[in-house]
Amino acid sequence: MPVEMHRDWIPVALSADLPAATVVPAHTPSGILALWRSASGKLTALADRCPHRGMRLSYGFVRGEALSCIYHGWSYGRNGQCQRIPAHPDLAPPAAIKAANYAAEERNGVIWIAQEEPETPPPALEGFKPLRSITVGADAELIAGSRDVRMRLAGIDALLLIVGTGGSETVAHVMVDAAASEVECVAASRAAEGWRRDCERLGRKDLAS
Amino acid sequence: MILYDYILSPDAYKVRLMAALAGVKLNLRAVDVHPGREHESEPLRALNPAGSIPILLDGDLILTESAAMLVYLARLEAPTWLGDDNAANAARVQQWLAFSRRLTDHLGGARATEMLSEPGDLPALQRAGTLDLRELEAALTERRILGQTFLASDRPTVADIACFPYVALAPDGGVSLDPYPSIRLWTRAIRMLPGFIEMPGIHRLHELKPEPLSTETPETV
Repeated sequence: MPVEMHRDWIPVALSADLPAATVVPAHTPSGILALWRSASGKLTALADRCPHRGMRLSYGFVRGEALSCIYHGWSYGRNGQCQRIPAHPDLAPPAAIKAANYAAEERNGVIWIAQEEPETPPPALEGFKPLRSITVGADAELIAGSRDVRMRLAGIDALLLIVGTGGSETVAHVMVDAAASEVECVAASRAAEGWRRDCERLGRKDLAS
Repeated sequence: MILYDYILSPDAYKVRLMAALAGVKLNLRAVDVHPGREHESEPLRALNPAGSIPILLDGDLILTESAAMLVYLARLEAPTWLGDDNAANAARVQQWLAFSRRLTDHLGGARATEMLSEPGDLPALQRAGTLDLRELEAALTERRILGQTFLASDRPTVADIACFPYVALAPDGGVSLDPYPSIRLWTRAIRMLPGFIEMPGIHRLHELKPEPLSTETPETV
């Protein structure tokens, strides 16, 4: 990924795939993040590694406004600071026990992260609504030169947000015409499966319209 | 009702889980699969010539296929779990019960090879298991578009229980579940069901219980 990505918003998940009080692994060009939403709905992106023993925090769980590690229950707030160590309930965790945190925002049903807070908000993608995130076993550069792709899926206008996640894996967040019906969305979802098969079969296909 | 059981067997866990959800009491007989290979012993071969676990006994009835056991438990005590309220849903249940066999072969095969050192072509099993997960993810995504959570009906059925364990344990076979948001939400919905029980590698949702009080005796770090 080009260096300038560090100050750009990167789409990592769809809002509908992250309900309140859940955590998911978000694959980005620079690694995996633990992306979580608190019980009250607040969004946070932390490095996917517990500072205690290195367990993936995305395997953990969200209770209230904190993310807890599945291994020993150490819990972290939205700034990544360790708040509580269950085996030492009376200890105030030292400030050094902190998971790196990233800027995270959602707009029009898409969750974006950035290493440093960009000056402008993530794009609105007006006229589209999120359909699904799909992982493709092909290099993003080969699929689309890492650019977003405008195409039609089963006749429905679609916009694919393409994110190379290292190696030969690419995540495509599929947006479709905001006016698409349920039946059209199902058809577009099936067509996205076919698009993935094409990408993986050919390695490279010029799909931009 | 007697279940010849092995704690690490996902197929045996399906039956324990269904029984717990349906409120059926099972008489568990632990079988020394590893290292004893007791499932291949003559007394158990007499019950199940295939030498596989689990085996369910109820009077004269001997069942050796986990999908049949799920149907039996549901039909006895929790018939809504059969999901056979209309022709399409009944067929969907059968579709996923048959599909669950592929999960056993592929993801279960990868797990047995990777974790239990059984013979097998690990990369081929992982590739086949990944195709199964993609098929399941696509189906669950379509269900979500239609406002549904479970595989075959507007409520959980034996189809969900048949598919759940090998999917949840896919990482044991070196197959990541990271790329599947709809599978993640579906496994969460199953783990939220009242009466849900665990097996090694499939834990309950800790967040459903309140935070332990700091006055309680802490667990060892």
